Amino acid sequence: MIKCQACDREQQPRLLCAQCGAPLGAGLDLFAALGLPRKLTIDPARLEQTYHDLGRRIHPDRFASKSVRLRDASLRATALLTRAYRTLRDPVSRGLYWLELNGHKLADNNKSVPADLAEMVFEVQEQLADLRVARDGSGGEAERLRGAVDERRTELHRMIEGGSRELVQNFARWDAHGGANGAGRDALVMELKLVLSKIAYLRTLIRDIDRELDSAQAA
Amino acid sequence: MARIFGIDLGTTNSLIAVMEDGRSRVIADPVSGDSLLPSVVALAPDGKVFVGDEAIAMEPHLSVERDGRVSAVGFPGGEFGAVVRSVKRYMGRGGEELADEDRRRYTFADLTGAVVRFQVGARTFTPPQISAEILRALKARAEAALAGETVARVVVTVPAYFNDGQRQATKDAGRLAGLEVVRLVNEPTAASLAYGLNEKAEGCVAVFDFGGGTFDISILNIKGGIFEVLATNGDTHLGGDDLDRVLVDALLEGVPDTVRADRHVWNSARRVAEDAKKHLSEAASVELKLDLPDRKIARTITRAEFERMAAPLIDRTLECCRRALADAGQNAREIDAVVLVGGSTRMPLVRRRVGEFFGREPLCTLDPDQVVALGAAVQASVLMGTQGDLLLLDVVPLSLGIETMGGVMERLIHRNTTIPTSTTEGFTTAVDNQTHVDVHVLQGERELAPDCRSLARFKLGPLDAQPAGVPRIEVTFLVDANGILNVTARDERTGREHSVDIKPSYGLTDDDIERMLEESIDFGEQDIEQRLLIAARNDADQILTALEKQLREYGELVDADERRRMGEVTARLEQARRGEDRERLSKLVEELNEITTPFAERIMDRAIKLALEKKSIEELT
Repeated sequence: MIKCQACDREQQPRLLCAQCGAPLGAGLDLFAALGLPRKLTIDPARLEQTYHDLGRRIHPDRFASKSVRLRDASLRATALLTRAYRTLRDPVSRGLYWLELNGHKLADNNKSVPADLAEMVFEVQEQLADLRVARDGSGGEAERLRGAVDERRTELHRMIEGGSRELVQNFARWDAHGGANGAGRDALVMELKLVLSKIAYLRTLIRDIDRELDSAQAA
Repeated sequence: MARIFGIDLGTTNSLIAVMEDGRSRVIADPVSGDSLLPSVVALAPDGKVFVGDEAIAMEPHLSVERDGRVSAVGFPGGEFGAVVRSVKRYMGRGGEELADEDRRRYTFADLTGAVVRFQVGARTFTPPQISAEILRALKARAEAALAGETVARVVVTVPAYFNDGQRQATKDAGRLAGLEVVRLVNEPTAASLAYGLNEKAEGCVAVFDFGGGTFDISILNIKGGIFEVLATNGDTHLGGDDLDRVLVDALLEGVPDTVRADRHVWNSARRVAEDAKKHLSEAASVELKLDLPDRKIARTITRAEFERMAAPLIDRTLECCRRALADAGQNAREIDAVVLVGGSTRMPLVRRRVGEFFGREPLCTLDPDQVVALGAAVQASVLMGTQGDLLLLDVVPLSLGIETMGGVMERLIHRNTTIPTSTTEGFTTAVDNQTHVDVHVLQGERELAPDCRSLARFKLGPLDAQPAGVPRIEVTFLVDANGILNVTARDERTGREHSVDIKPSYGLTDDDIERMLEESIDFGEQDIEQRLLIAARNDADQILTALEKQLREYGELVDADERRRMGEVTARLEQARRGEDRERLSKLVEELNEITTPFAERIMDRAIKLALEKKSIEELT
């Protein structure tokens, strides 16, 4: 039970006080913070609308002249709301979070390369190493390598798009499945984990490329 | 309730604005009629302080006498008094970060400390103290213009790309000026509010804010009163000052370094350069003239030449734009409107290059010098609750993280995350019976800790002696709506809150500020929160005493039920009177006021009746 700082009412944890609508925001999972069921399929337009509606009611801007305790509650509730929105808006982080909630957390720093990506990852790392070397040398070679890396980047983005489509289908299948127990469930979780770790890995790869291109530009 | 004012604390000029009848307006000086206050502060050797045009007059420069002789005038610094310009550039920086150029222009007291200190006679002044003088001058200007209305609560704008230390320094300046800084707002975001409200801008908007000392680019999505910043980028040391420097270098070419380093020569050259820069926005060429004691310099510079010299600076702004767009996941051509903010956007080259980059004509329908202050006033009215439908969702400009094993920066909050935001991180001990865990907080985008900006260090503990890895401390890093980091820690096992003793790497500690406040003799500098609390307590005392007296004298005018209700509120108020919660105190005073109003009216009626009776008796006799 938590106590509302505005009207003193004791209640179950929630984002807004059931009695007076003041921000509470304690100990909630991110689905609950946005008042959503724990489903993988989320309509982005409705999610944004909910986020904005709740934001308008609990944001610190609305409590600038209120008591210190209420301002603090507003700050914490809004931080939670923001995190919930950012996590659930993106299908990949939503999937990862959902798995975590259901006790299937993927390793934090997933360094192992998915098998079907191994060859390409190796090539990208080689290209980046070449670019690092060429950066200090003549301009023409660096330019050519930058072009090649840029192309690779586009390809990776396409792969992520493909993966995301696969992910959305997985989400729909899972939600239809109703989260029931049984053999099907484990297979679905496995599949979900596989797609997610692949996309997460591709994103890391793109970030490495961007960083390398950025410092190549700065040099 | 007292109004909240909007302040643009700029590198070159500062302004104060307020919302009136649904429109924001800049408050001009009632005497001079000026809207802009030059952000120049003169610190005289006798302790007197001057701000604005008066300070500019005291700046060291060369004066040409009627007979043609050139003499050096103004406070040259050190024991002779100093005139500080662009103090914003020094906010949140440490002594060791000063460049040779800075040391040529000013006399500093301490080149190693966590904060820059300007030396004036036996005293030293930190950048927040000098900025506080500018804030105080703006406060005085507004209070004079508004017939005695008090300016106590303000919104102050900061460059979007300001780091945590620079933001904290700005808040410190407000506190030292006796103001409650209700919110820091990013300058480009403030500008977007002014455009959104006055020009009804909607959709994806890029705000290109090129000011006197800083550059910011922010990409926003404006929809149905929600102003959501998607990404921001910038450079807190890139602005009109740098454009001036390009022309100073051209003007002083061939002049020996020793002459160049002279503060009188340099400032005069800078003034000539600044005028020339402004002229070149209109004219195709301009003649720069400077009379030195031993020679006269004259140089003609065409706009094309100036543009060639300034091009690398403009390239840097566009590089920031490219990064911001990438972070926002937007294409330059997808932007619905580009808004120009800041005096440096008057330069035709800037307009042309920005137009080319975004593939559309940029907007500048609102005065680029005033738009930030106008927006600050809009945000002030949002905070007063008089703009119910507007909501600003800003972002943290730079990633926040901690130093991990091997000196690597581990990001906990990524740049361009919407604020307020928080994240929790678990900490434990590395060796048996370790009693403290040291945490080093960093800000920046680089991989290695030494390449990032050190924000603060703090110690967790004391911990009970336990084997390594057993203690579990959960640390919450929370970035508030001002973009400032707050840290709290909790023992995961006991749920007990840990004290977090934070030592900022740069800037003033709370003790420093307390001392500065104590040292200052000006009553106006007292902590505003404390003052408001004292005022609220006085209000409470007043109403409690008055009510007690009235009940004693006119007790027969209240019935039992009324008396019971008064007794209840009085008891609650007396209790709150002993506490620190000003809000609750004010609310209860209001409540008591309200329920005793009928009683007060009855007393008044009785008094009038008595007076009339007395009068009629007098008339009869």
